[in-house]
Amino acid sequence: MRLGIAIDSKACMACYCCYTACKDEHCGYDTKLSASQPMMGQFWMDIREWERGDDSRHIKVATVPTPCSHCADPACMKAAKDGAVYKRDDGIVIIDPVKAKGQKAIADACPLGAIYWNEEKQLPQKCNMCAELLDDPNYLSYLGAEYKKPRCVEACPNGALVFGDLDNPESEVSKIIAKNRVTQLPELEGKETNVVHLNVPTVFLSGTVYYPEEMEEVCVGAKIKITCRKSGEVFEAITNDFGDWEVEWLPKKENVEIEIVKEGYAPIKLTALTDTDHYLGMTYLTKA
Amino acid sequence: MAEKITHSICVGGPIAIHTEDGVIRRVRPIVFNETDPKGWTIKARGKEFTPHRKTSPAFIALTEKNRAYSYDRIRYPMIREDFVETPDGQNRNTDNRGKSGYRKATWDEALSLVAREIKRVQDTYGKESVTAITSSHHSWGLLGYKLSTFARFFRMLGYTQILDNPDSWEGFTWGCPHTYGYHWRLGGTEAFDLLEDALKNVETMIMWSHDPDTTRGGYAGNESTMWRHWLDDLGVQFIYIDPFNNFSSVKQADKWFGPRPGTDAALCEGIAYVWLTEGLYDKEYIAKHAHRFDEWADYILGNGADRLAKTPKWCENETGIPAADIKALARRWGTTKTMGGSGLRGGFGGVCRTANGTEFARLMVQLFAMQGMGKPGQNIWSGTTGAPMDYNFWFGGYSDPLSQIANQPIADKTAVNCVTQKLYRPNLPDAILDGHYEWYGEGFCGGGIDQEFTEHVYPEPGSNKVHLFYRYGGTFMGSMLDTNKWVKMYRSPELEFVVNQDIHFHGESRFADVILPACTNLERYDIGEFCNSGNGGYQSHSQTGCSWQVVVFQDKAIEPLWESRSDYWIFSQIAERLGWGEEFTEGRDELAWCKRFWEKSDLCEKISWEDFTKKGYYIAGVPEDWERHPGFRWFVEDRPCDTPNHKVFQEEGRLGTFTGKFEFVSESLLYWAPQDEVRTPIATYKYSWEGHHSLKAKKYPFHLISPHPRFDYHTQHNSSTPWFWEIPENRVYINGNPYLVARIHPKKAEEKGIKDGDLILLFNERGSVLCVARVTYRVEENTIHAYGSSGIYNPVKPGECSMDIGGCVNVLTPGRLIGDMVPGMAPNSTLIDVCKYDGPIPQGQYFEHKLDKVAKEGDADAETCVEIIEGNGFFHMQEKIKNKAKEAVKK
Repeated sequence: MRLGIAIDSKACMACYCCYTACKDEHCGYDTKLSASQPMMGQFWMDIREWERGDDSRHIKVATVPTPCSHCADPACMKAAKDGAVYKRDDGIVIIDPVKAKGQKAIADACPLGAIYWNEEKQLPQKCNMCAELLDDPNYLSYLGAEYKKPRCVEACPNGALVFGDLDNPESEVSKIIAKNRVTQLPELEGKETNVVHLNVPTVFLSGTVYYPEEMEEVCVGAKIKITCRKSGEVFEAITNDFGDWEVEWLPKKENVEIEIVKEGYAPIKLTALTDTDHYLGMTYLTKA
Repeated sequence: MAEKITHSICVGGPIAIHTEDGVIRRVRPIVFNETDPKGWTIKARGKEFTPHRKTSPAFIALTEKNRAYSYDRIRYPMIREDFVETPDGQNRNTDNRGKSGYRKATWDEALSLVAREIKRVQDTYGKESVTAITSSHHSWGLLGYKLSTFARFFRMLGYTQILDNPDSWEGFTWGCPHTYGYHWRLGGTEAFDLLEDALKNVETMIMWSHDPDTTRGGYAGNESTMWRHWLDDLGVQFIYIDPFNNFSSVKQADKWFGPRPGTDAALCEGIAYVWLTEGLYDKEYIAKHAHRFDEWADYILGNGADRLAKTPKWCENETGIPAADIKALARRWGTTKTMGGSGLRGGFGGVCRTANGTEFARLMVQLFAMQGMGKPGQNIWSGTTGAPMDYNFWFGGYSDPLSQIANQPIADKTAVNCVTQKLYRPNLPDAILDGHYEWYGEGFCGGGIDQEFTEHVYPEPGSNKVHLFYRYGGTFMGSMLDTNKWVKMYRSPELEFVVNQDIHFHGESRFADVILPACTNLERYDIGEFCNSGNGGYQSHSQTGCSWQVVVFQDKAIEPLWESRSDYWIFSQIAERLGWGEEFTEGRDELAWCKRFWEKSDLCEKISWEDFTKKGYYIAGVPEDWERHPGFRWFVEDRPCDTPNHKVFQEEGRLGTFTGKFEFVSESLLYWAPQDEVRTPIATYKYSWEGHHSLKAKKYPFHLISPHPRFDYHTQHNSSTPWFWEIPENRVYINGNPYLVARIHPKKAEEKGIKDGDLILLFNERGSVLCVARVTYRVEENTIHAYGSSGIYNPVKPGECSMDIGGCVNVLTPGRLIGDMVPGMAPNSTLIDVCKYDGPIPQGQYFEHKLDKVAKEGDADAETCVEIIEGNGFFHMQEKIKNKAKEAVKK
């Protein structure tokens, strides 16, 4: 059994239910598996958001709930002395609140920044997947054992967080992962983790195509072709009812060429770098 | 450890509460098991849709534990330090209200003082000299909420009632009844059963001034979020129109338009121009169902009195949206099956709270009418209501007169107010300060269009002015406009005595002479239904904003903390001191009243009182083949109205206007207000009295928009829950004070030398508010966005009209009404300027020391505010209570 959480960035609306439930469970209460989360300054369930785009005409926000990833081979465990960090049989990574005292190296080792250093208690702290609740036979006994989940997952209204056994292909979490685009966070590239991020966006390019300016008309149905200079990979789009085009999931840091084609008009060529999300502006066609 | 699980509801939704040793351990959503009914399944486009088997409360509901043990709880009865109980009510240092600290009082001392003052004032000036008003939604439940216990007490006492303005949906209340009726739904539409219709038919959603994941259908938590995900997955195109690229929009929009604030009515007219010139509207429907459409069309096309065609180019000049984009929007809307609406439940949204709010609301309805409103996939439906429900199950909502302890049948005797004099909330400070005020309307005008035009004068001829103000709740400093007007009112010696009864030490509490500490929902008994606002002149069936119909026994999870008491206890104690305690309670305690609601509703036929209180909640299931009454379908199909909230005349197939049709020239306005220049018989775009055409715009070039908050509810969660102060899109905690985020466009920020995270001052002639800059492309260059009502009112010089550091942006908004005959408020017609703040950074919050002082008087070992916010204060509080409970058990 390998317990994990799938986190779907597309379904997440950054409603902060997971964040609040996590604080509700862990702030102010010590357990054997974790010292209490301080009232301020730590975010065991951290909702990382970034604005996507560089023009008010096309802006999106990426929302990525980010707890400890419970790595298969945790860097924090390697940095820990005296077995202060250990991985349970169910895959949950635990920082022992007694043994870890004074070991700042544990917090520093996390590539994701998901371990917080408690200056007052001299303790590294993080998400423990609510392991103490999962272990407690009395917790939710009024409902039944199958209802036990980490608090963040239970509080999510959108099914953006799904919990279960990653080793069981029939589990809900395995099915969700199979159905979606798995997008490992860049900081954890190449690592196997028990928290699996889905649909975390890479980079988009977008724009709007208009007929010649004096016509005051958007151009519907213009063809957009994006070619990556190095790899030759091609992405295509067609302008929608608003003259807008957008290509998501572009490879990062590529120089690309964009060609805009509409029959009867001169093709337009643009270039861009996919360092970050860009709106390439309002493009006006001219007669061929 | 002995763990107990009880249930409750708050404004964010229903919750399960885990209690251990007399303290609350955790708060969770209510998760259903196999004993609860099956949910509905909607079949559409080859798929089946059914909700999760749990309630989906908003995150604010999950803070209820923290709100209970919050640093800003009022722990003890308090009396203003320099209050003097002079026998004539004069020389009471009223000027120091807001400034002075408090001393701890005993309950007996505080209650006796309140009773004595009520008696003195009423004996001296008459019954009408006492006035009182409640806040909204700091608690939930048919017993404890404002229209029940509060109303019972004050109606029995006799008092000058303060009429609420329809603060969240002004333009719809004052505008739409003149276009399509529905005054009984306060201008909002009837969206019954439209979720299924949308899932089956809709192609385009117009989300106009609408951020559904922020306003959450009012009190429906996150229940409808999943519905919009379903629509998104079906390929439905979402178009958001809002000066702020809001939180739902940045995640879900296929297209965002950011019109210049207050110009949305111009955008409506531009869209109409395209439809009229290109024939993109339902001509047959309009011919049959519209009244004086051609006169309006003439106006749009440039043949009206102003001889100005509302072309896309004209529209571009007003709204800032390119003409080509306006045409594209009009065509997409005019050629696909389109549903949509404005704000919350479709008839709300920030635009309706502008100087042009009525005209926008009316024009939006007219646009939906032009596309055949009521046909499949064509309707006003904002994606937040209209889930299937069992219409045959009735449990009252808070506005239902049948569900209040003020009235029969819940009470044996109905409480009737003997005073006819009224006041009007938005202008309460004006009335107190000027001693005279006149206005039109009954506030919420659910009883008929004519109620909008009743004339009121204060003081009412033959009546005295008010001299005692009993405030229940304290959020108007934050949610009402022109805050400093309220400061001046509170300091006026006209108010000889001010009482505040609240749970937390809110902005207004700090101006009272006597403060009575009420307890939270978790510390008393109540009973209530999820998101049911009732049918007492409100929008009935609001619970169709939820996937599940849930009635909850709001059990007492813990004993009232410190010396706080339930509102019911407080009012019954005062009633007793006034000599009518027995009449007030009718011999019932809180639990006995709760049982009355069970007994007098359909609940008693579904579940026994014992089972209900043991289980804690009841889910009203939806029958397999539930009754369907899609909104407006009857109208399209020319049959008697069958929706569950209709009026008799609709059974003749008519709307609630004079002509029974969509009135493009309003006959009711021609009859009642033909000369009104703000709300004209033909709804038209008009320049705002505080907008980009005003002279003031030269000095204050930015529009401030302050929509309903995402991280708060009427200031009630932001102040009490420091966990929210570290949400980057909400606040930034600096030097012990949480500064509110204000959003500014990168280009304007650069011009002003402002960087993301800088402290910036928002200011105009009304005041100034210190915020933290969020530099973002999510607003256009002309707009500053900072959430309204999310203010912790926290002036640098308390009691004076000084700079605010709590984020109370209503310091900046205009206190005037939309128009003389349109008594709504318009916070989103505000002009300001901004600058980088280089002044000294204040330390902490200015009211905390007042609380700390009284807390220490009660318990030398008490935790200070800062210890609770940042340190281990919360942990210590719970430990102390646990130990006390354990000792009590030992004894």
